[in-house]
Amino acid sequence: MEKKNLNHMIDIVDQELKSQGVSRRDAMKMAAVGSAAFMMSGTAANAATEAKASSAKGKILIIGGGLAGMSTAARFSNELDNPDITVIEPGDLATSYQPGQTLVGAGIWEKSDVMYNTADFVPSGVKIIKDKAVEFDPVNNKVKTAGGEEVSYDFMVIAAGLKLAFNKIKGLGIDQTISTTGDHSPVSKVVGKNGITSIYFQQGSEDTWKEMQKFIADAKSGKQVKGVFTHPNTPIKCGGAPKKIMYLTDARLREAGARDNAELNFYPNGSKMFGVPEYHEAIVKQFEARDMKWNYRHNLIAVDPEKKIATFNRHWKEKGAWDEDLEEYGIVMNSKEVEVPFDFLHITPPMVAAEEIGNSPVGSGKGWVPVNKETLQHVKFPNVFALGDIAAVPMGKTGGSARKQYKVVVDNVIASMNGKELTSKYAGYTVCPLITSIGTVMLAEFNWTKKPTPSFPLDPTQERYIWWLLKVYALKPMTQYGMLSGRA
Amino acid sequence: MKKLNTAILTISTLLLFAGCSSNPDAGKKKVYSKTPAEVYAQSCKKCHGDDGAGNPKKKAPALNDRQAQEMELDLYDVKNGGTNQSSGTEHDVMEHNMKKLIAKGYDYDVKAMAEFLEKSFYKHAEKK
Repeated sequence: MEKKNLNHMIDIVDQELKSQGVSRRDAMKMAAVGSAAFMMSGTAANAATEAKASSAKGKILIIGGGLAGMSTAARFSNELDNPDITVIEPGDLATSYQPGQTLVGAGIWEKSDVMYNTADFVPSGVKIIKDKAVEFDPVNNKVKTAGGEEVSYDFMVIAAGLKLAFNKIKGLGIDQTISTTGDHSPVSKVVGKNGITSIYFQQGSEDTWKEMQKFIADAKSGKQVKGVFTHPNTPIKCGGAPKKIMYLTDARLREAGARDNAELNFYPNGSKMFGVPEYHEAIVKQFEARDMKWNYRHNLIAVDPEKKIATFNRHWKEKGAWDEDLEEYGIVMNSKEVEVPFDFLHITPPMVAAEEIGNSPVGSGKGWVPVNKETLQHVKFPNVFALGDIAAVPMGKTGGSARKQYKVVVDNVIASMNGKELTSKYAGYTVCPLITSIGTVMLAEFNWTKKPTPSFPLDPTQERYIWWLLKVYALKPMTQYGMLSGRA
Repeated sequence: MKKLNTAILTISTLLLFAGCSSNPDAGKKKVYSKTPAEVYAQSCKKCHGDDGAGNPKKKAPALNDRQAQEMELDLYDVKNGGTNQSSGTEHDVMEHNMKKLIAKGYDYDVKAMAEFLEKSFYKHAEKK
């Protein structure tokens, strides 16, 4: 890089720091700390690049060609001398940029900005089978596709993503699960119409913007309107998106000068905004500042699309009887159904592992593929690994998690091929660029310590314009061209 | 626009280098006053049973049907009140109990406890 450019970059970072109320001296100190960290990690990065390509051998089968699966395939291709890699992926749009769907839902991006063809991201030399793996026989190292093809492997990496279970919500008339980028017709006959929306599938994100515009127009015309935003009782991908779309609805209403006519209400199943206390508190303050309301412990169970009523299971804890074993009062759970009328409903559907995997020998009682949460190796089958949305890893269902996980999987599979110990470990890092308005983002980074783990020397609980730039301009090219080529 | 591009380049570059340096496990390791076996014998077994088979009357689920690594995730969930932003937890009751038990000194390392449970009780221990 030219020195002039570098200086210019440093100036901009410096200005950003100062504009956030950091003195020049402090900025220098932080820069020093930052560069120390940079040098340390730089050494590791150099070691990785300089390491010779591995001559390890084995037939690698990857289930799923989304972001996690295809990045893994790319990295294996880069690292191995003679790679033998097969990816089974039925979808044409599996490598689409899902994190952008929030922006599509709020009319900031077009749907075409997030659509990417799977075929364009298959690394050269990697064989792709355009089908779905439906039978798993990990004892004999084989899988079978829907078309009847039998594929054997030495190592299998499961990165099949998850399914959106709109069918678990009564009243919508939906009888099957869908995937984010696959055939959405069973769901979009009701979701994406009449004020019922969901950014969790690609077409749904485009339809969300259409419905949001009607909602805003109603508010602007003087009608008092209600927006309801849900969060289910299952693990979900991108845990922040249910709130992000609410923040963006708030921003669009303000832009239209119609915020006073709308009531916005968040109904999550859980009883907090975020698992990390620092971020939880920051979000509560942001909600209060925007007059966005919330009701914890409400799980969406039914929707009446005609009457526009959402039914929630409201559940709470009550003091129970004296528990002799506990030597304390226990608690009992109580619940009742609550009906909430809406003009605009954003549904975050329950999410499940694909049935054919969840119920197979590589699945688990809960469906997710059980792996060692650090090495990402299957708990029962040592030559099987899993990453991404389908892995039973706490907090791990984001592209940011996958970005840390795929390198761990590649390292550990190659170590296994060489008969070595699995030394590469995933520390639970994940990131949620929480969009809080048009122009601001809180970059919530954390791991299993449940403490903020900021990558930058800036207070991570603050909303900043620079993270908006990161979210809207930088993360997509980093993902589509850095990560999917197996490099970043 | 040029400035914007440079800013984007800057943050992208920073991000590429970031995240590699933090090691969450570095430094202090928590010390527990009791071993998992002691905690189980003195507390857990009152509800989950001598053999980890559980007790429907006490709504205590079986602990003998999962291997250590899967169990670890459940124990982690119990001690952390759920592992997703606002999804909540299916372990509401045990989460309450766990807080009380920790206050009484029955704390444990989730990994060590999960390994103890598998070694002691796992009912599918025979190889497939």
